[in-house]
Amino acid sequence: MAVKFFGQFLVEKGAVSRIDLLQAIDLQEKTNLKFGEMIVKMGLMSSADVERVHMAQRNEDLHFGDMAVKLGIITDEQVQQVLTHQRNNHLYIGEALVQLGVLDKEKLEDLLAAFKKDQQSYVSEKIEIPANIPHKPIWEMVADLTYKMLTRVAGISFRPGPCSIVEKLPSRPVIAEMGFSGAVSARYLLSVSESTRNLVAKAILDEDSVEDEPEEVLDDSVKEFINIVCGNIAAKAAQLGHSIDITPPEIVEDNGSGVDVPQDHTGLMFPIYLSDGEVFELTVFIAKG
Amino acid sequence: MKSVLIVDDSIAVARQLEKIVNSDDAFEVVAQGRNGAEAIKLCQQHKPDIVCMDMNMPVMDGLTALRNLMQLTPDLKVVMVTSLGGVGDKYTEAIRLGAKDVISKPFEKDNVLEMLKRL
Repeated sequence: MAVKFFGQFLVEKGAVSRIDLLQAIDLQEKTNLKFGEMIVKMGLMSSADVERVHMAQRNEDLHFGDMAVKLGIITDEQVQQVLTHQRNNHLYIGEALVQLGVLDKEKLEDLLAAFKKDQQSYVSEKIEIPANIPHKPIWEMVADLTYKMLTRVAGISFRPGPCSIVEKLPSRPVIAEMGFSGAVSARYLLSVSESTRNLVAKAILDEDSVEDEPEEVLDDSVKEFINIVCGNIAAKAAQLGHSIDITPPEIVEDNGSGVDVPQDHTGLMFPIYLSDGEVFELTVFIAKG
Repeated sequence: MKSVLIVDDSIAVARQLEKIVNSDDAFEVVAQGRNGAEAIKLCQQHKPDIVCMDMNMPVMDGLTALRNLMQLTPDLKVVMVTSLGGVGDKYTEAIRLGAKDVISKPFEKDNVLEMLKRL
């Protein structure tokens, strides 16, 4: 019911053991060298050059290759050469298991097909993001997974509205947020009414009624809902080759006037309409630069 | 009957897990913690057979707590119950540190009980 990586799927299906998986991951780590390791192996840089790049990266947030070019150690063409070599020689987890003799190729094909079928429901649908927003595929995926989890986890029927850039979030009874760091630096916020919060709480607590539940538990249900969504966003991002770390969920204090998007962030809002006319919002505050 | 400690910063999830675990006569929830530091304290106090623990928690995260717990009681059966289960690096780190299994959120009752019985 969640976004998974292939190795996890194989263990869950009993196709490989945890020990087999760890051995395959060890083999992958030895084979799939990082950019800095690969470039030394290819003889394009020395270990001393690598150290120079690492030192410079402490003062400026640049990828290893970009920094090495900036320092004049290698050329853009050499960066491409290394990236191509990494791509062409990448060992996938399934291939590693075949190399170790845990799976044969035919069985791997069958399991890959079963994995794709299992994860089919998490394939993104097209969502339009305004122009000039960086990392568009990530924000499309963030909105898409939120919609899917609203249906599957919270059982809420809704219609997504068009995404737009905003400077302020309207005031809502509950606004829950989590932080993203790594491939993107952003805050994920879900603002809901009391009735939507109660729908989420019923689903999370698996109760028919939440009338007698304390506010703390009801708010906590919204926090847990976004925790599930953001964890699955991190998993989906990893499938797409991006590493995203998340912070624990929190409730945002709203004094009744809404929440301003900080000046050094861009606010991207995805309104969500319910059949009874009510609206709530998914918003991401994306750090500029 | 096996004793179970639940560790999750979410009251809602802890309650949901408690309901699932206690629904089977083979298990009994003996305590609940809200972060990794509480997990260590409660393990020393209750000596549970099984710990079901979240990863993404304030004060001390689940992986740090797992590392500490494995040093203190290497035979302890710890299962990570987390929304980050699908992140390959996190899953692998948990297994390497000694977790017996990782369950991704959202989870289903049958899957949780099946996994606990396999331990």
